[in-house]
Amino acid sequence: MANFVSSIQFSDPYFSVLLLLIIAVGMAVGFVFLSQALGPSKYDRIKYSVYECGVDPITSASVRVSVKFYLVALLFILFDLESAFLYPWAVLYRDLGWFGFVEMAVFVGILLAGLLYAWKKGALEWQ
Amino acid sequence: MPLGNLASLRYFLPELAITATILLLVVLHVVGRNRRSPEAAILALVGTGMALWVAWMTPAGEGIGLFEGMVVLDGFAVFFKVLTALATAIVIFMSIDCYELTDRTQAEYYLFLLSVLLGMFLLSSASDIVMLYLALELVSIPSYLLAGYLKGKASSTEASMKYVVYGATASGVMIYGFSLLYGMTGSTQISEIGRVLTLGTAPLPAMLAAVMVTVGFGYKIAAVPFHMWSPDVYEGAPTPVTAFLSVGPKAAGFAVLVRFFYTVFASPDGADGMWKLSSSVDWPFLFAVLSAVTMTVGNLVAINQRNVKRLLAYSSIAHAGYMLMGFVLLTTVGLKAILFYLVVYLFMNLGAFYVVVLVANGSRSEDISYFSGLGSRAPFAAVSLAIFLFALTGIPPFSGFIGKVYLFAEVINRGVYWLALVAALNSVISLYYYARIVKVMFLEDPTQAGDLPLALVPRVMLAILVVPTLLLGIYWEPVIRVTEASVRILTH
Repeated sequence: MANFVSSIQFSDPYFSVLLLLIIAVGMAVGFVFLSQALGPSKYDRIKYSVYECGVDPITSASVRVSVKFYLVALLFILFDLESAFLYPWAVLYRDLGWFGFVEMAVFVGILLAGLLYAWKKGALEWQ
Repeated sequence: MPLGNLASLRYFLPELAITATILLLVVLHVVGRNRRSPEAAILALVGTGMALWVAWMTPAGEGIGLFEGMVVLDGFAVFFKVLTALATAIVIFMSIDCYELTDRTQAEYYLFLLSVLLGMFLLSSASDIVMLYLALELVSIPSYLLAGYLKGKASSTEASMKYVVYGATASGVMIYGFSLLYGMTGSTQISEIGRVLTLGTAPLPAMLAAVMVTVGFGYKIAAVPFHMWSPDVYEGAPTPVTAFLSVGPKAAGFAVLVRFFYTVFASPDGADGMWKLSSSVDWPFLFAVLSAVTMTVGNLVAINQRNVKRLLAYSSIAHAGYMLMGFVLLTTVGLKAILFYLVVYLFMNLGAFYVVVLVANGSRSEDISYFSGLGSRAPFAAVSLAIFLFALTGIPPFSGFIGKVYLFAEVINRGVYWLALVAALNSVISLYYYARIVKVMFLEDPTQAGDLPLALVPRVMLAILVVPTLLLGIYWEPVIRVTEASVRILTH
């Protein structure tokens, strides 16, 4: 540890990053700690209850999220990346010729198989 | 000079065979009517068999860099491809009549299994850290799906959940280590990283990168303290999946561990078969400690297990510890010992799990009480299991003994006596829980009435697994020659 501290060079371009890191972490920790140490803390039931537009809370806050949101996001990521690969190929279509066409057809074909699988498994159903 | 994309396809045939099989399995899953038809298993077997045969037939010679240096095809990679394909083929046979899998779609299961196999092929031959990460994820993610395959069983879902969280964290730490290595050396090729590291580098980032990469690889081979996922995953997953996970990804993990550390953090040392450390990172000592702790934890916790599947899971952790002994020695002989041990371990471990699957098919549970009196109910299975368990302990004349001899001999030759002592004590401890199963099988009265009939396919498969376990304990020359040829890792 002493070797590490003594090896810090003040002329290093990343020294300012280290300083920033120390000050930022120090400030964040310091603010939280100071407010906890210096502030009053009196427990009041109404003060600690959940805020729900001024009225009394109706339901519990921990609602169970359906997995369909995750599936939609995952399918989006996959096919969006597929189209991201399709754009450069489309730009250079003429130069790549038949070789590029067959290669891209194989790529899209494999992803098509994946789409059929997702379709069959019911991942495209919203309900 | 690594080959370009089109020219590399000629050397990529095993992986292409597996990919084609996977796509056909997807089509079969989408199109197929009857869930339980054996077509999926047959297709998977054909695909795996073809990949195995093509990999076996790869002409021996100088290694070739493929796909612009992403993947390398040398004897080491071919060895692990054959090993993992063989493990997959045996697991496919094991899965065919497994009671846990009968009401689930077959094609999907083999689809995931073959995806893991493709990942293992890539992992054994990866020569670029990006490809390494991709292959590791390709091995891990279908494994998560396989571990959680039994949707109705809570322990299976829990196993998958734990596996996902643990695997994601370990992969994240590992790729951070990779990024540090890239930052230090400016290249993603592991041979280039190794070359730049020999020129001298700051010790702290190198040590940090080595430790982080150890987290990722240690997780894959279930080395302590990265083993927390394996007991729960091994218990919750269907038994054929457990057998597969304990052999296949473990072997592939060792392949990548050896290739990575011996290329990046070590370099050949002039003398034949010796290596030297290329930076000040003393990773052999770190791994020696990990090896000792892994063996000890695996063996000590296995003593208390009543569930045979969980017991075999802990024993496979211990065996990873034994194999790590050969890794720390920085000699080619040590690597040869690891490769040989992986071969005998494949047969012993898959055999033991096979018998567990057969017994569980009859009794719906893997508790040790269901093994009572197996000697009278199913003598062939009981004798096979006894052979596998004694081989796992390392008792002559079984193959496990020869495997341990190679490891121990090299450890003692290099003078790391404390490690050999720990390993010897651990082997003695392991005898207790292996022999306890044998005792329950042959010396106790059966708790279940009636014989346990074995169909022809399980009998043949058990015979196929028993014969090498016996034979390699007496005549192991061909396997050792194969490992000698395979140990030269490409470092161009």
